[in-house]
Amino acid sequence: MDADPSDVTPTSSNRKSSAITGSARKIKDNAADWHNLMLRWDKLNGEGFSSATNIVNMRRQTLSSQGGGLGESTSVPSDQLQAVEASLQEECSRLQEVVQKMAAVLKKMERLVETQRGIQELEQFQFGPGGRTVPLFHSWTTKDFEQTCSLLLVDFRQELKLKQMILEELAHTTNPDLNLVYLSCWLHQPFFQTQTRLSLEALLLETGHRPL
Amino acid sequence: MSSSAVSCLREALRRSFVTLENQRSVWSGVLADCSPLMDSLGNLAEQMSALSRVQLSDTPLRIFPDLQDRLRSKLLQDTDTVLGRVRDKMTELQTVRDSISKQVSAVLQLYEQNSDSLDLSVMTERCAAAPSLADMLEWLQDAERFYRQQFLQRKTLLQTLRLDHLHLLESAPRRWKSLDCPGSDQQITDTLCRLAFFMESQYPGPT
Repeated sequence: MDADPSDVTPTSSNRKSSAITGSARKIKDNAADWHNLMLRWDKLNGEGFSSATNIVNMRRQTLSSQGGGLGESTSVPSDQLQAVEASLQEECSRLQEVVQKMAAVLKKMERLVETQRGIQELEQFQFGPGGRTVPLFHSWTTKDFEQTCSLLLVDFRQELKLKQMILEELAHTTNPDLNLVYLSCWLHQPFFQTQTRLSLEALLLETGHRPL
Repeated sequence: MSSSAVSCLREALRRSFVTLENQRSVWSGVLADCSPLMDSLGNLAEQMSALSRVQLSDTPLRIFPDLQDRLRSKLLQDTDTVLGRVRDKMTELQTVRDSISKQVSAVLQLYEQNSDSLDLSVMTERCAAAPSLADMLEWLQDAERFYRQQFLQRKTLLQTLRLDHLHLLESAPRRWKSLDCPGSDQQITDTLCRLAFFMESQYPGPT
């Protein structure tokens, strides 16, 4: 009987990509997709931060012109105020678009995890509950790939939830400290620990996308 | 006899000013790199202060129970990273200071070794293409003192920056900027301009 294509393992992960087939090919492609999706997420994060900062600054302008200041009057002409409010609306729409695109990125990540789970289940079917005896790449079992990707997904899901909240609250908050906390949260992405980035790097190293 | 001592000293001074000019560009470059780092420190400190003044459980962010700790930890980590980079820059500034000090020290030593043959008239003699040796020694020492003091002041400021003193971190960019001394800096620029011919030429002593 011919060798099952999903059973093909490269002797070295430095082998050219075209030689890898089956499960290994799928996992390697998944890792590349994770990397690209993370880059896309980072880019959207930057764009979102610009919009969020503009929203906070414009809110400050509209609030101070509504007599929120102390002592001196900051009477801004009403047409100028209208222009600021129109720009504020525009920035809010921009931010909403960013969050929607991030949600689309998350959906793609969920699909990658599902694919990974599928590969894991196939392997269990072919090799039994212990999985294959020889790793597909250097040392990770197929379960390791699934776990790493699932943990990455958890972090991204939490971050998106946080960003959705920031989108809802940012233009309505009057407390300047809270506004700065929202901006901090957006920029620094507190649900991504060092481990998150390291996990992706480990994934890329294991699948040969990065040289060892 | 006196003429060879004069030539030696003149050449040593010329080399010192060339070193000074080169080291000045290095210093300016490193200081320019420090500016955005100091601004980052100020920003991060402002963010940490804002976070400490907000009780997240009283805000919509209460649905993330561990958010305050996570964000604080992130900000501390980033601040620590930036502080590390600033310390690396200080090492580079120290190298510049040491280079200038070493050069000036060597010139002064040379002068002292030959001081018997370098009387007042020789030291104060000037010509069209070169100022007097005395003037040049003075300018060199002034420049060395400037960089020595600048380094000390900036190093002292850096030593006040700690993660648990947010108000000092917040004011760091302003205090760093206040250490700029454009007047003294301009004086050194003017001196080097005045010495342009001297630095380019290698000529024998006046007699």
